Amino acid sequence: MSDLAIELSGVGKRYKYFALDNIHLKVPAGQIMGLIGPNGAGKSTTIRIMLGLVHQDSGEVRVLGHRMPTEQVAAKWDIGFASEDMRLYESMTLGWHMSFMQRIYPNWDSAYAQLLLKRFGLRADQKIKGLSHGQRVKATLLLVLARKAKLLVLDEPTTGLDPVARHEILRELTAVMAEEGRSILFSSHNTHDVEQISDQITFIDRGRIIDSMDKEMYLDRWRRLRLEVPHGVELPALPGIIGIKRDGRLAVATANAYVPDLAHAYESTGARVQRVENMTLEEIFVANVEHSREEVEA
Amino acid sequence: MRDSVVGQLIWKDWQMQRVPILITIVWGAAALAIAPWGGVNNRVVGGVLFFIPLILMGHMLPLGGIGNERKKQNLAFLMSLPVSFIQYTTSKLISSLVIFLIPWVTLVSAAVLLVEVRGVVPHGSIPVLLILSLMPFLGFCLITGATLVGETEGWGIAANVLCSSTYGLAWFFMTQVPSLMVPANGAVVVWNSTELLILASEIVVSLLLLGLTYFLQSRKRDFV
Repeated sequence: MSDLAIELSGVGKRYKYFALDNIHLKVPAGQIMGLIGPNGAGKSTTIRIMLGLVHQDSGEVRVLGHRMPTEQVAAKWDIGFASEDMRLYESMTLGWHMSFMQRIYPNWDSAYAQLLLKRFGLRADQKIKGLSHGQRVKATLLLVLARKAKLLVLDEPTTGLDPVARHEILRELTAVMAEEGRSILFSSHNTHDVEQISDQITFIDRGRIIDSMDKEMYLDRWRRLRLEVPHGVELPALPGIIGIKRDGRLAVATANAYVPDLAHAYESTGARVQRVENMTLEEIFVANVEHSREEVEA
Repeated sequence: MRDSVVGQLIWKDWQMQRVPILITIVWGAAALAIAPWGGVNNRVVGGVLFFIPLILMGHMLPLGGIGNERKKQNLAFLMSLPVSFIQYTTSKLISSLVIFLIPWVTLVSAAVLLVEVRGVVPHGSIPVLLILSLMPFLGFCLITGATLVGETEGWGIAANVLCSSTYGLAWFFMTQVPSLMVPANGAVVVWNSTELLILASEIVVSLLLLGLTYFLQSRKRDFV
């Protein structure tokens, strides 16, 4: 197996009103990749292609060294998948689901499953229809985690959860990574959740990957420069600046490849740099999406 | 792999459908118990009540066991397991067939036995009984195919409505065919060409429907 848990090369999928276009994505083994995109960006389609549930029109997909979709059965033995729109059988108990999974997966860890039951505050004898939304999500994750899969693919697992439940789940996912060689792909439109646990982050919008890199690199490279610009001074288009919003004498420049020389370059035009601010992942995401859309529309 | 995943999916369906199987058998048995007692009225009531659970099972099994899995978003859970979509289809076809055929074979055998042993109706009616009994099976195959291939509740419901309305028509036309009705009132079983042709057609069309379902499912590229 290569050192990549997931590798998508030039993947395309066309629907009547949506297209996934030339997706390149690499998730190294042992890493947590956050896949962030607005609703309808193509996160779920990309994930379903990774699992072989949707066949790509073009491009190559390898998951844990298996070609998808042809080798999906072999790959899925080592993939734990949970998605926001996945439901367990309402009329059956969580315990029934646990024994169903145990009969299928040789790696099923009963002791860990019991531990998760306790940690998540779940009861094995309770029917799924009697569980709250948060409990259902936890029950699904219990089934995924106790399989001890090498790769976890989680499509918006924290959507609709209260902060405590989100925290419990994120803590458990972080704990999973203590075991060597395990990887997680975690999709969400909630940047806060992704920021907490991810090593790498990929932004997707309108069926295109618009950026993908190490989380720390995003936080290092993206900056907001607040400028005071005298009347008559035009701000130049500098490399590394992706957008300038000007309101009278005040301007805000957004940098996606910040270096201190950028501030000096503005000052040399007569502008005064009031502040250089760090950006949150959410601000980086929004700025990135807006910039990408402007580029496409231009 | 401890057991085959397809086997586990079949076992899961069996576990979930045990109650409907039991209800079908008990209902059908009760109908057969009514038929021998009293006069013609009991035979008619018993006969009608006998076919209702077979028809209900043939209709509700695919809509509940297959359609609901998609509607209630259980399919994503199943497809997260190490199975391909064609393996999922195989498990669904096998489990549905087994779950339908257990009460069907039990009840139809009991009905034939009742005719043979108790002589509730003339022995000559056995071919017509089998022709009528195969209709819910044919309907089951059509609704199963429509529900699996159609992917929306609408296709299953359309097939359901089509079958429900066809049963009445088919029974009416059968009463107009002398080569079916005349031997049906005889004291001995006569297998004439009309009866054999209808029986063979029902079986062949049922198998074709199941084969077509399998073929169409194997050509799909997007599943969930």
